[in-house]
Amino acid sequence: MPVPEPESASAESQSLTKAQKKAEGRARQEQQRAAKAAQKQQQQSGQNAGSSSNKSKGSTVQKKPASESNKIPSAAASSSKDAPTTREGAVGADGLSDGPKSRGLRIFSHFGLPKTPGHQIKGDIHPAIVKLGLQFSEFKICGANARCIATLTAFKTVIQDYVTPPHNTLSRHLMTHLSPQITHLVTARPMSVTMGNAIRQLKLEISGSDIDLPEQDAKDALCQEIDNYIRDRIIIADEVIEDLAVKKIKDGDVVLTYARSSLVEKILLRAHALNKRFSVIVIDSRPLLEGKTLLHSLTSVIPPIPCTYALLPALPSLITDADIVLLGAHSLHANGSVYSRAGTAMVAMLAKEHSVPVMLCCETYKFSETVMLDGFGKNELAPMKFSPDAPKSNSNLEVLNPLYDSTPASCITAVVTEVGLIPPTSISSIPLALGRTTL
Amino acid sequence: MASDPQSAANQRIVEDLVSRLRRRQLVGSRATALETLLVLRQVVSKARFSNIDQLVNIIRSVGRRLVDAQPKEHSVGNTVRKVLHHIREEYHTANEQPAAESSFSIAKFVLQGQPRKQATIPSSESRVLLKENDPDDPDSFARVLKPVLMEAIQDVFDELETVYDNISKNAKDHIHSDEIILTLGMSKTVDSFLKAAAHYRNYTVIVAETAPSYGGREMAKSLSSAGISTFLVPDSSIYALMSRVNKVILGAHAILANGGMFATSGSLLAATAARSYSTPVVVCAGQFKLTPLWNLYHEYGALDFGDPSAVLCFDEGDLVDKVDVVNPYYDYVRPELLDVFITN
Amino acid sequence: MDDFQIYKSYQRLLKNEDLSTPLAAILALTEMMEQSNAGTMFELLTELKGAAEALSRQSLNPIGLKAGCELFIEFITLFPHDAASFSELKTELIRQGQRYAEQALAYRAKIAELAFDFIKDDSVVSSGFMFIDWHDEIDLHIQILTHSYSRVVLQTLLVAHKRKRISVFVTEARPRGMGIKTAEMLTAAGIPCTVVLDSAVAYAIDKVDFVLMGSEAVVESGGLVNAVGSNQIAIIAKAANKPFYALAESYKFHRMFPLSQYDLPSHNPGVLSFPQTMSARARPASSGLPSKASSVLSDNGSPIRITQEDIARNNPDVDYTRPDLISLVFSDVGSLTPEGVSQYLVGMFAG
Repeated sequence: MPVPEPESASAESQSLTKAQKKAEGRARQEQQRAAKAAQKQQQQSGQNAGSSSNKSKGSTVQKKPASESNKIPSAAASSSKDAPTTREGAVGADGLSDGPKSRGLRIFSHFGLPKTPGHQIKGDIHPAIVKLGLQFSEFKICGANARCIATLTAFKTVIQDYVTPPHNTLSRHLMTHLSPQITHLVTARPMSVTMGNAIRQLKLEISGSDIDLPEQDAKDALCQEIDNYIRDRIIIADEVIEDLAVKKIKDGDVVLTYARSSLVEKILLRAHALNKRFSVIVIDSRPLLEGKTLLHSLTSVIPPIPCTYALLPALPSLITDADIVLLGAHSLHANGSVYSRAGTAMVAMLAKEHSVPVMLCCETYKFSETVMLDGFGKNELAPMKFSPDAPKSNSNLEVLNPLYDSTPASCITAVVTEVGLIPPTSISSIPLALGRTTL
Repeated sequence: MASDPQSAANQRIVEDLVSRLRRRQLVGSRATALETLLVLRQVVSKARFSNIDQLVNIIRSVGRRLVDAQPKEHSVGNTVRKVLHHIREEYHTANEQPAAESSFSIAKFVLQGQPRKQATIPSSESRVLLKENDPDDPDSFARVLKPVLMEAIQDVFDELETVYDNISKNAKDHIHSDEIILTLGMSKTVDSFLKAAAHYRNYTVIVAETAPSYGGREMAKSLSSAGISTFLVPDSSIYALMSRVNKVILGAHAILANGGMFATSGSLLAATAARSYSTPVVVCAGQFKLTPLWNLYHEYGALDFGDPSAVLCFDEGDLVDKVDVVNPYYDYVRPELLDVFITN
Repeated sequence: MDDFQIYKSYQRLLKNEDLSTPLAAILALTEMMEQSNAGTMFELLTELKGAAEALSRQSLNPIGLKAGCELFIEFITLFPHDAASFSELKTELIRQGQRYAEQALAYRAKIAELAFDFIKDDSVVSSGFMFIDWHDEIDLHIQILTHSYSRVVLQTLLVAHKRKRISVFVTEARPRGMGIKTAEMLTAAGIPCTVVLDSAVAYAIDKVDFVLMGSEAVVESGGLVNAVGSNQIAIIAKAANKPFYALAESYKFHRMFPLSQYDLPSHNPGVLSFPQTMSARARPASSGLPSKASSVLSDNGSPIRITQEDIARNNPDVDYTRPDLISLVFSDVGSLTPEGVSQYLVGMFAG
């Protein structure tokens, strides 16, 4: 395609200011192109800075980038007010320095690296715990409730196989036997709040067990306590929560949920069993894509629950259709913030913005007395096996898959617990949640 | 018209672009703008017309077909509008009508405000006289005007060519040392903006993957290869990381008349999360993305949906039958969520 | 005692101008207990729950009443069983119920004292405005219920009037229009007051120092349920940065958690429905009649008239005000933040 002949352009610029401006603009653009080309050349040769600034004459504004990138320290420092790091920046741009990376790492360092399966076994670890550790680190057992139940069940085996060494009492020694088991599980995957709460309760029971009791009886009593804990704090609690939450789902409602919470799944299935007519929007996101599991179970009932599936970026398009949002939680904190699967916070935030009520379903044993201000302070990374398609990390690129985030209390309308619907900030006034009442 | 071999050739290139737009073989606002411009240049150079209205009609009809092919690709319409504007302008300068200039009516006052003492250059100077609808020589009008028009189109071309450089030239004023920037999706504009800033500043970029297209992965690769410290994260962790982010930099698909924008889906989430942490949101976009339209469908971004298999692949056979899958291309981001636009 | 009887005694109790719905409900339940021949605690509780159910079924707006029943039943459930015989225990419970109702009447004075401290002294110029939405209980006997309910705000205002100079805006509070009644009573007490339209709240809000709101029930989120219009006044007050104070006796604290307006028990499909059947209904009757020239005509030529009753029928009686819009709740257990209310409720019931 031929470019129009220059003579008409010159005729224009003679007569009209507008055309003149235009011509100027064109000249400037050409200059820029020239400057860019020059810059490229310069970068290739990497030297001889002065010549380019001479080459590109005319408008100084456009010249600056070219000249600065050519590492004239004085020019760069004078033109950019707060750029003492110009040199380093330029070096970094060459990809030779890994300065930026180490700085970035410092910010994320506390996330810890994802654990590789088959980690070291230190000390006397019970086979049930070894197996569990492996299941944790490979995410075969995942979710706050599942992990807590699995841990307690494994501890039951450990306790039954435990023999109090001579000159020791069970109430004093059993805990020292359990501690390395717990440590092993924590090295497999950071401990969940639920596990922490359950273990604290177990410790209390162990230290309180009667010294005069025959060993087998004491062990049976402890196992009974564990069973009670699982039954009262998780299984029965879930049933009560299901009852409460189902009441809030009305015929014709569209329920939106994120990823997969075992409790939300049970609530939806219960509502379906009660012949409520509702549909579900499942929002999902990498790294775990747990929503697909939820979809499977929601669509495999008869008749299947009408479901819509979308990834997190599509949420703004769907949130307006929702009548209620049901979410699960990993733990609930003293300031009312909710620690849950990464992405939950954004679902709650958007729901609040569209005044869709957000119901968080959470048993009281998930309460933690700590305060959580944002999802950055405490987090965990998913292992790389969940992102097979992602580009490989290199000196400048790092792939992070945080597993959790923290939802502020203001985004949650109500928390459904086994003691009723409460605002998230009131959880700390429930004695049961604080573990002050023993079951 | 149809019998004319030249306009048949025009038809062909227009059809070609239309089908590529329709099949989404051509994506990206700048690429479509450039292609549209190429087609228009071809059309103008081959078109036969004897007055301005004929020309405008030709371009309009071509523009309409292109826009209809992919109504969500706003840069097509914008480019056509821009070309039309230039053509009218060139026509008016070439065909000055002092009579119309001098009259001052209320309507004109309303439209243009106070009459300005513009130096209306006397048309006595040597001007090529435009003869419209010359019955003797119907091509005379086109012959005279065409070079001017081609030049006008070239101007638009040049603007598009240098759009990235012009946007990026102030990058270092917007990104400061040791900042943490969050971006998402693959935007050439943002990419060049960040790279330009990297020449002067030492900073970190967090890129959200932007499912289901995962354009963020491409972006992360591109940025890290330019030596920028880059972290690639899933979309779900935008909120968790936002408390450490100093600035969110987004690309736009189209910027609307009210200051809102269409952008890759995920942008609204990022912008809303940024708002809840009072993090500034910066949008980098070329002027060709400024669209004189309003968004009537606030909810469904641009009412444009992508391939559901990207969200739920067909391996999950039994699920696909029972589940509705939604995969919108774009988000509509309200103007109050955006702080700054950086254009060329 | 059957369902009808308990409702009758409830209504009779409500005729007492001092009693609000929760207290009337508690007293109705004690009357029922007197006549009950339940032999065990379990039987008694079942009967009480049945009676509470019957009451709320027959009442148009059961929210306040439910709060009272709930409190009483919860109290009985947790009452320590140290009486010698069940009949003794029953008498004791009845006595407790009646005593509580008596004591509760004094709560308003306590609330008035608490709220009084928040009324700025402005004795020189009477620019200290107060803004009051009239809140009314909705039942068949409007005047009694309203009157009794209004006491807490009225009493507060009267206490304030004795020692400080105040003037009051009262909203009309459609559809019941109970604000006019309040205005009359305030005027009679010598308090300067003006009735403003519900639609003029935003116009008046800048002249106002704070908003004082009664309530029908304070719910577990810390929000409140009150005569329709309260929510929009709360929103306007928030937008204008004016404090929004709610007054509520503790027996109005209710273990209920509305997620939204439409989650209230008073919501039904008729509220805000579109009267589709109206034109169909009107057609045969009015087709032959010549229409008045001035009235708006429907498609078939019949005049369209929308009366106040039509509007009221389609509209809610109460609405729910979110806790984040409320500055403080004054109650006989103290001045609480909405969060404090919810913690108090959780502590009382969630044990």
